[in-house]
Amino acid sequence: MLKILIPTMMLIPTTWLAPSKHIWPSALAHSLIIAIFSLLWLSSPGETGWWLLSNLMALDPLSTPLLVLTCWLLPLMILASQNHTSAEPVNRQRMYLMLLTSLQIFLIIAFSATEVLLFYVMFEATLIPTLILITRWGSQGERLNAGTYFLFYTLAASLPLLVALLILQKTTGSLSLLPLPYAAAFPLISVADKLWWAGCLLAFLVKMPLYGMHLWLPKAHVEAPIAGSMILAAVLLKLGGYGMMRMMVVLEPLTKELSYPFIILALWGVIMTGSVCLRQTDLKSLIAYSSVGHMGLVAGGILIQTPWGFTGALILMIAHGLTSSALLCLANTNYERTHTRTMMLARGMQMLLPLMTSWWFIATLANLALPPLPNLMGELMIITSLFNWSWMTIVLTGGGTLITAGYSLYMFLMTQRGPVPQHILALNPSHTREHLLLALHLLPLLLLILNPTLVWGWTA
Amino acid sequence: MCSLLRLRAGARVAAAALNRGPGPGRRARTPLKVGDRALPGHVLLSQSLGTSAALRKDFMKEVESQLSSIKQTALDALPGSSWTPLQVNPNLPPERADIVIVGGGVVGWSVAYWLKQKERVREEVKVVVVERDPTYSRASTVLSAGGIRQQFSLSENILLSLHSAHFMRNINDHLGVLHEEPVDLHFNHSGYLFLASEEGAHIMEENYRTQRYAGAKVSLLSPTQLKEKFPWINTDGVVLASYGLENEGWFDPWTLLSAFRRKAISMGVIPCSGEVTGCQYQTNTVSTRDGDQVTLRRIRSVKVQMPNSLEYQPIECSVVVNAAGAFSAKLAQILGIGNGPEDSMAGLPVPVEPRKRYIYVMHCPDGPGLDTPFLIDYSGVYFRREGLGGNYIAGLSPQTDEEPDTRDLEVDHQFFEEQVWPSLAHRVPAFESLKVTSAWAGFYDYNTFDQNGLIGMHPLVNNMYFATGFSGHGLQHSPAVGRGVAELIMEGGYKTIDLSALDFRRILHQEPMLERNII
Repeated sequence: MLKILIPTMMLIPTTWLAPSKHIWPSALAHSLIIAIFSLLWLSSPGETGWWLLSNLMALDPLSTPLLVLTCWLLPLMILASQNHTSAEPVNRQRMYLMLLTSLQIFLIIAFSATEVLLFYVMFEATLIPTLILITRWGSQGERLNAGTYFLFYTLAASLPLLVALLILQKTTGSLSLLPLPYAAAFPLISVADKLWWAGCLLAFLVKMPLYGMHLWLPKAHVEAPIAGSMILAAVLLKLGGYGMMRMMVVLEPLTKELSYPFIILALWGVIMTGSVCLRQTDLKSLIAYSSVGHMGLVAGGILIQTPWGFTGALILMIAHGLTSSALLCLANTNYERTHTRTMMLARGMQMLLPLMTSWWFIATLANLALPPLPNLMGELMIITSLFNWSWMTIVLTGGGTLITAGYSLYMFLMTQRGPVPQHILALNPSHTREHLLLALHLLPLLLLILNPTLVWGWTA
Repeated sequence: MCSLLRLRAGARVAAAALNRGPGPGRRARTPLKVGDRALPGHVLLSQSLGTSAALRKDFMKEVESQLSSIKQTALDALPGSSWTPLQVNPNLPPERADIVIVGGGVVGWSVAYWLKQKERVREEVKVVVVERDPTYSRASTVLSAGGIRQQFSLSENILLSLHSAHFMRNINDHLGVLHEEPVDLHFNHSGYLFLASEEGAHIMEENYRTQRYAGAKVSLLSPTQLKEKFPWINTDGVVLASYGLENEGWFDPWTLLSAFRRKAISMGVIPCSGEVTGCQYQTNTVSTRDGDQVTLRRIRSVKVQMPNSLEYQPIECSVVVNAAGAFSAKLAQILGIGNGPEDSMAGLPVPVEPRKRYIYVMHCPDGPGLDTPFLIDYSGVYFRREGLGGNYIAGLSPQTDEEPDTRDLEVDHQFFEEQVWPSLAHRVPAFESLKVTSAWAGFYDYNTFDQNGLIGMHPLVNNMYFATGFSGHGLQHSPAVGRGVAELIMEGGYKTIDLSALDFRRILHQEPMLERNII
């Protein structure tokens, strides 16, 4: 565990002490080495639930895939940010890298925490670097609004979580995740217990985000710089999912009834956000709303509390993290060239940058859950487990899948096909860096087809 | 789905236009009365004497005004000041826009309107129109004589005018805003009358054929027919005349500009008062097939200076449209177009410069009657009727070596005495006794290369579109030009009229497309 954490912490002195022309190569190389070492975590011992166990941190089949995703994403974020920060003074670039690294450290500790309160503190701590990234490096005046929405939605929902955790600490005596599943079931009957149940889950539902509380996500995504969007879409949303999966064990037996409205809200959100995507004009906003839809499915899968549901949720989280991040990187390559996020003004890109079209195609197909990609595996398992709970959900999930396919293809056809406007005829050709970035996103996704057992959690 | 929405939106506007109160050709709310004339296709023809208030009670407006008054009383009741931590100047343009149109004349606002018209979803593109003079004191649009004709020799010009005339005849279907007054352009369909002497007659005949082929309704008149139709003309020296029967005449340019502006703003275009004084661009050096190095520029942001202030706002944009009219070359110079070695592409400046033209208002009680067309003599002198009180406006394009000074808009009355009046009096004997009541001067955005419009992208600046250099016929082409530029930007090519002959290539290849008019 420390094998990865200490080098990540050391990345901060690296960025501050490296000479200015070596910052980006050295940060990239350093984070890439950390990422490759983190892949070793995937070779699990298998029998025991936890490995690499220590007082505070441990790995288990739920947190390992998310941790590997987090470590994998840091070099990708560094690759993606190189261009738009190149015009800034050196110290600001160092600051940027330090923010990304500190975010990484908080996320690693959060996912590997064995103590729920440590997880909570790290969960809150990730808000600060993200807020600084959005409000300082965002491109428009609306970024202040976006930062406010982002901070206060999550903060307001997570304060009840703190209270709920303290209550849990009082009743069980310990908040360690290791004995928590084996603790005696609590008699949860009063209204206060129901409020406690809601308090436990609300923070994670807002983070996921659940459809009714999702307003912060499109704003934050659109205003954030590319690295901020990537980490937001790929990992920070999964913090919500991971937290929910951890907390579910103590919330029995209330979940059977109380989760009803949230499952329905999540599924309705899939349809609604999909419909919104069909008439979106802003590319990044489209991808943000599609994230809300996918995470709605994840929320449904977790709240249903079956092995298939959990497995599907975990696979979908990993696959969506890679896909969404890839789509955001593609949108960024478009934005850096044409300087607009409006899809109408940058059409027919296939004629201009045909190699990018192949990446767009793979990422779009992943987004619409094409078999045999893990996106489909996750979605299918969640849909099946929901169908098992109630046959009527198939209407919502089926319609949602249809609309998802619709808007993914709409996005592809709008950006890649169509008449080429004259003002984008002369564009910078694709850089190797951009191809590398997208390859590093989509190659793991394709490799996961071959061995999905790595990411499917406890049902191994 | 999107075309359905557009159909419904169009139907809404049309229904609103139809349901408005009594207006020319609109269905009236009062029942049909005996003696009301009906035109085919319209229910009623009755004239409304214009009002300045909205013609229909708008429930939402009343509710909004009540709510705002309630809010104001509540705010007054509460203690506190209106200070906010973010002290922003509300007049500043936004920091980012998709398309910035430099120039708020009729061409600029036409482009803005058509861009919004072509978007499929509300607020798909963010359009900002930057105009440095909100009083339009030196703008060509409002100082124009306001004529529209299809009698050109280039088929592109003919088609542009034809489409613009159709647009203006149905202007309320296009530019009508719900709950607002309908647009009344005062379009006088009196037609243009071109007179040709012996030398120019064959050119007139060829032009006539081109015009008829393109769809213009023009007729040729012999001197006797001319004298029969317009007895006040002296047909001395006239061998042939060409008279426009439909879609020609004159209209009020200020109303067209305001209508475009009002409609575009109602559709979400952001107007901004300011001057573009600089821009940031990124350069890319590429080599052509012959091995020459060419620097391509891509505008990243446009710096807009607020009027009478040091404040400025850089607008990050993706596309810039240069509709600055007579002052387009100055904007192009900011970008460095024209700075380069003489023979190369980079050394070619944008060939648009302001040329001053005078218009004189005369009063002649015994002058030609109400059916006077816009008459253009072969000597270059022109006049038209203005209003119903025996007033006329006249002018003449000076010789190329006698171009007046363009530093100001002062009128040279000697010019009228020496050059305009003699030809006028020769052609229309009634004008021997007239009184000049007033005069003004305006700029042509004169294309020094071939006096025809420049529409399209500059080869060296990757995201700047030009719509300028119309040399006196910008106003009459503005609706169609706006549509063309909007099609270029949003759809990648011309869909209604093919204007690719009017782009920069003819300047690069030095092949002028001159109008073979007899003036």
